[in-house]
Amino acid sequence: MRQASAYSKMLSGGRSGPHALPLARIKKIMKNSSEDVKMISGEAPIVFSKACELFIEELTKRAWAMTLQGKRRTMQREDVASAVITTDIFDFLINLVSDSAHDHCPAQESLPVLEP
Amino acid sequence: MKRERDNIDDDDDQRPPVGPNRTTFRISPESTCSNINNDSNHNPPIPPTTTININNNNNNVVSANANANKGTSISNSSNNSNNNNHNNKEQDRFLPIANVGRIMKKVIPGNGKISKDAKETVQECVSEFISFVTGEASDKCQREKRKTINGDDILWAIMTLGFEDYVNPLKLYLTKYREIEGEKLNVPKQQRVEQRLQHEQSSSVPYNSVYSTTNMMSQPSFVSNDPPFPLPFSQNSIQTTTTLPQQDHVDEHW
Repeated sequence: MRQASAYSKMLSGGRSGPHALPLARIKKIMKNSSEDVKMISGEAPIVFSKACELFIEELTKRAWAMTLQGKRRTMQREDVASAVITTDIFDFLINLVSDSAHDHCPAQESLPVLEP
Repeated sequence: MKRERDNIDDDDDQRPPVGPNRTTFRISPESTCSNINNDSNHNPPIPPTTTININNNNNNVVSANANANKGTSISNSSNNSNNNNHNNKEQDRFLPIANVGRIMKKVIPGNGKISKDAKETVQECVSEFISFVTGEASDKCQREKRKTINGDDILWAIMTLGFEDYVNPLKLYLTKYREIEGEKLNVPKQQRVEQRLQHEQSSSVPYNSVYSTTNMMSQPSFVSNDPPFPLPFSQNSIQTTTTLPQQDHVDEHW
C-alpha cells in the first residue's frame, strides 16, 4: 500500500498529515461501496481525504448549531441527526441517522422535526 | 459502547457467540475483501476470487491464510477474540474515530465537547459520504467506458451531488498534489515555478472561507528539499499534466 506518511511530509513540509485521514482506509471504503468499483487512481483517495475533511467540518458546524440551540456545550448524536435532517444535501444520510437513533435508544421517540 | 447496527448484514447480530479459539468474521455480499469465513456451517462459502486482507492492530496477529482463497475454512490457527472481530469490521468500514474527532474539534469552540455517540455518528456519515460519491463517480466511469476512477471523477460527483462549495478548495488541493507528482517526473524547476505562479494567479479561492483553514492551504511552498520518494502511485493512473490548458479542459466538464 502507498505510504501516506511520505506524502504527508512532502505536502506539509515535514509536519505530519495534511492527509488527516488514512488513504488506505478511504480506498477500502470506496471499494466496499460497490462491486463495480474496480480500479481507483492514486489521486482519488487524496481528493477524498480533503473532501471528507470538508464534509466533517460542515456537518460538525451544523451539528454544533443544534447543540447551542439546546443550550448545551456537549454535542450529542441527536445534534448530528438534526443537522442532517435540516440540510438538503445531507438527505442521503437521513436513513443512517434515524436508524442509529432507533437501534441505540429504542425508548427514544422519533427525532423532533425542526423548523428549517 | 458496543455498536450493534450493521448496515450490511443484520443477520449477524443473532449469531451465537463463538469460543475464544474460533475466529469469525462477517461476510458481506458487497465486500470483496477483508473477510475470512471459518464457519462454513453458518456462512455462505467464499467465492474463489475473494481477496484476503485483514487489518489487525492488536497483539494477536491474524495470519492471512492463503487457503481461504480456495474456499476452505480457516483452521483454528487464527486466534482472536470476538471483540477484535467486531472492531476489525468497524475499522474496515469507517475512518478512524481519532482522526474524525480531531477534525470535528477544530471547528467548535475550545470549551465545546463532543460525545462519543456524536463522533461515531459522524464517522458513519463520512463512510456513507464516500460510498455515495464513489457510486456516482463509478457510474460516470461506466457510462464513459473507463475502468479507473480518477480524481476528476470524484470532483465531478461531489459537485453533482450538491457539494459545490467543496469543489474550489478541492481543485486547488488536487492541483498542488499534481505539482508534487510533476516534480517527481523531473519537470524542470523553472517550469514548475511558472506553473505554480499561473495557478496561483488564476485560482480565486477565498482563503478566509470556512473550508480553507487547513495546514495545506497555509503552506507557502510545496517544493520539498527532501530526497525524492519512490513513486508509490502508478504513473499511468495519474494525470500529471499541470498546465493551464489542462485545467481549462477539466473545467469544461463542469
